[in-house]
Amino acid sequence: MTPARQRALILGMILIGFAIAAVFGLRALHAFRQFRGHPPPPIAASNMERVETDVELIRGWMTVPYVSRMYNVPPGLLFDALGISPIGNGEKSLEQLNEEYYPQADDFVIASVKAAILEYQARDTPVATPVPHNPPIRPIGPIPP
Amino acid sequence: MSDFLLTQIINYGAPILGAIVFIGAMGAPFPGTLIVIAVGAFARQGLLAWHTTGLIALACVVAGDGLSYAMGRYARDAVLRRFQNSERWIKAEFTFNRWGGMAVFWTRFLITGIAVPVNLIAGTSRFGYRRFLLYDLFGETIWIFGYGSLGYLFGSQWEMISDLIGNISGLTLGLLLLAAGLWLGIKRWKAMEAKKTEIPESQTRGLPSRNTK
Repeated sequence: MTPARQRALILGMILIGFAIAAVFGLRALHAFRQFRGHPPPPIAASNMERVETDVELIRGWMTVPYVSRMYNVPPGLLFDALGISPIGNGEKSLEQLNEEYYPQADDFVIASVKAAILEYQARDTPVATPVPHNPPIRPIGPIPP
Repeated sequence: MSDFLLTQIINYGAPILGAIVFIGAMGAPFPGTLIVIAVGAFARQGLLAWHTTGLIALACVVAGDGLSYAMGRYARDAVLRRFQNSERWIKAEFTFNRWGGMAVFWTRFLITGIAVPVNLIAGTSRFGYRRFLLYDLFGETIWIFGYGSLGYLFGSQWEMISDLIGNISGLTLGLLLLAAGLWLGIKRWKAMEAKKTEIPESQTRGLPSRNTK
């Protein structure tokens, strides 16, 4: 390797290393600050205590059966809220269901699932749980079979 | 990609996790650490049994690492043809045989981005498979059970811990690259300085002394 190439390689390593360390260092710092404000939740002693209540944790990759298990809500109730048959849809993610059944309304499926869970939890428990004042309106339009 | 893989894991459980870590260990760019942490959280929710899932994942990832090690071993002839047993190659092989165990161990869970190249180099440089397996097993156990435990501990907040670990891994890689660059730079600079001092000495050798009267 010529001295000029050697110098370029060393300089490249230093610059790229510095850039990577700076970017990930800043991101790690940001993630650490977020993380510090959230101590780990206590380990549940029983299955009932495992039930999640924060609907903001619902993500597009989750499936209806998974969400129903996580929030202890009957899966049928969620499928009813979506107006979708459970047959053949149990393994599809919420995002896939949205693309397939409500392509004209972004995040409609997630919003509907959240609303249905909040409503169910409010009905199921005596403790008041906030119910959204404006539940998502099902879009009008042709629904694919 | 990670969304699709997470959906498959909640649908099909441990076998699909095993397939993901196996393929990932052979070089497919899967977000392995994120998935392992998520699986820990799924175990906490009672969706997966942590012990069997952990053991399946460990067996699969070690098998994947073994396969990429074997790929390196079979590529040895081609590499030797390229370097023609040069002094530099022999030196590199010697260095890897000395420090390779640590490289294998740390790249299993801390600098996972370079785990596959390390497997290939280990195979190519004839790093003993038993030694490789030992370090690999230790490292992967930390990766699967250590990170899985973090997911288990943080439950539904696993995304936060995964984000933090991913960034720390990137930071470590950047710092290593920077340190390697600086080390090489200093080494080169010292070599140049030594050359500079050698030249005047050789030039002055044989010249008449100034103090001659």
